[in-house]
Amino acid sequence: MNIDAISMRMLSNIGVGVALADPEDLRIHYSNPAFADWFSIEEGTSLESVLGNVERGDLLNELAERDAIKLDVAVKRKRRLLTIETVIRHAESDGRKILLVECQNISRLRETEAMIDSYARIAERKARELEREKAQVEKLLLNVMPRSVYEEYKTFGTVTPKLYEPVSVLMLDFVGFTQMAAAADPTVTVTELNDIFTGFDRIAEMHGCERIKTIGDAYLAVAGLPTPNPDHADAVAQCAAKMIRYLERRNETHPHQWRARIGLASGAVVGSVVGVQKYVFDVFGPAVNLASRLQCLSKPMEVTATADFGEVGIEGFVAGNSRSVDIRGFGPTDVVKLQLEGAIELAA
Amino acid sequence: MTNSNQTLYEKYGGFPGVRQVVTDFYERALDNDIVGHFFENVNMARLVDHQTRMIAGLLGGPVEVSETRLADAHAHLNVEHHHFDEIAALLNETLIDAGFERPDRVAAVAAVEARRSIIVKRSRAA
Repeated sequence: MNIDAISMRMLSNIGVGVALADPEDLRIHYSNPAFADWFSIEEGTSLESVLGNVERGDLLNELAERDAIKLDVAVKRKRRLLTIETVIRHAESDGRKILLVECQNISRLRETEAMIDSYARIAERKARELEREKAQVEKLLLNVMPRSVYEEYKTFGTVTPKLYEPVSVLMLDFVGFTQMAAAADPTVTVTELNDIFTGFDRIAEMHGCERIKTIGDAYLAVAGLPTPNPDHADAVAQCAAKMIRYLERRNETHPHQWRARIGLASGAVVGSVVGVQKYVFDVFGPAVNLASRLQCLSKPMEVTATADFGEVGIEGFVAGNSRSVDIRGFGPTDVVKLQLEGAIELAA
Repeated sequence: MTNSNQTLYEKYGGFPGVRQVVTDFYERALDNDIVGHFFENVNMARLVDHQTRMIAGLLGGPVEVSETRLADAHAHLNVEHHHFDEIAALLNETLIDAGFERPDRVAAVAAVEARRSIIVKRSRAA
């Protein structure tokens, strides 16, 4: 078998459509079976007629300007619309100019591209949903632990207990909350408590304090944690003053009177995430216990703090009643009372 | 033994598996003389998108095809019960060739069947 015979056999069997046409009148002189199958070829069929919406003049002009032109031709086979990628280029055979037409059925490629586009849209949508869920989870976790602790938890899956020193602790509870909850509609009482704690959260945030937790009607906040703050004592004192003032103002217009007692203490605390399934960031240590004991010493709408808090000047608040108190677990401790100026005048 | 929480989508290879099923089903649907006309002259990209979503959804993949959307897409087509039967049969054949185990095919075809009332046009006598 000579080379020509092999070439002809190959041309007859390949899946690529091949045709030869005259560059002058565009008549097709030869087409292989694949080409003939896609386009109905008869004796004297011209190239522009198989290309669909192509004007003869335009085609000749384009061929005069370029070495090759490429276009997608739509061919209907039964119910399917095939996309045939067609390249027409100038060639020469035995010194005679001809047009070589090569065609490939790229329908499957186009279908696969459409399918990948479809899947990409599905995947992108899913990714956006996951992103939203992740943000929601993050928001929830940031409610129960400081951001830096959350970052540590996210990276290592655990949080190492850490000593924070010095920090100041604010402990608050309400006078007569139990009776109030029993006397009034408990849902109303809890709704009001929620409003007040939300207000406290804003005040705490404003002064760089971190709300650690609430236990029933008690509210625990810390300054100087997780980021150290040299003004931690000032921060909790300002916070305590604002909370008392906030309640004063609220009580003027509300039927239920909320009266808080606050204790402030400085010292060291250990902070960590406690729990495996139910995480909570909590603090432990002498400062927490002392603040809690001092809070018990306070009268309604009064703040009791260790003596060093007397140095902190808070506008509208006065320090007084310095005394030494024997506190369980701490022994004799110098304490001071912080009170709204108006309240002192009334008491006097 | 397969994980009971695994969807058919996951079991049969995720998107690469579904891709083969969609391509094969697309061919069969267009070639079929009973239902082929529904797919004639439909924009190829739209049809492929619909079939990808539909088949991935049926197999428990990450797509939810809403009933409203399904009803809207088929409302003007006047699909009758014998057309629907043919589509279900074509899907079953496709899944046999894709190597789906019998119980999995039954589950997938049942998922198609569950949508019959949304796709088949309402009887005028009703």
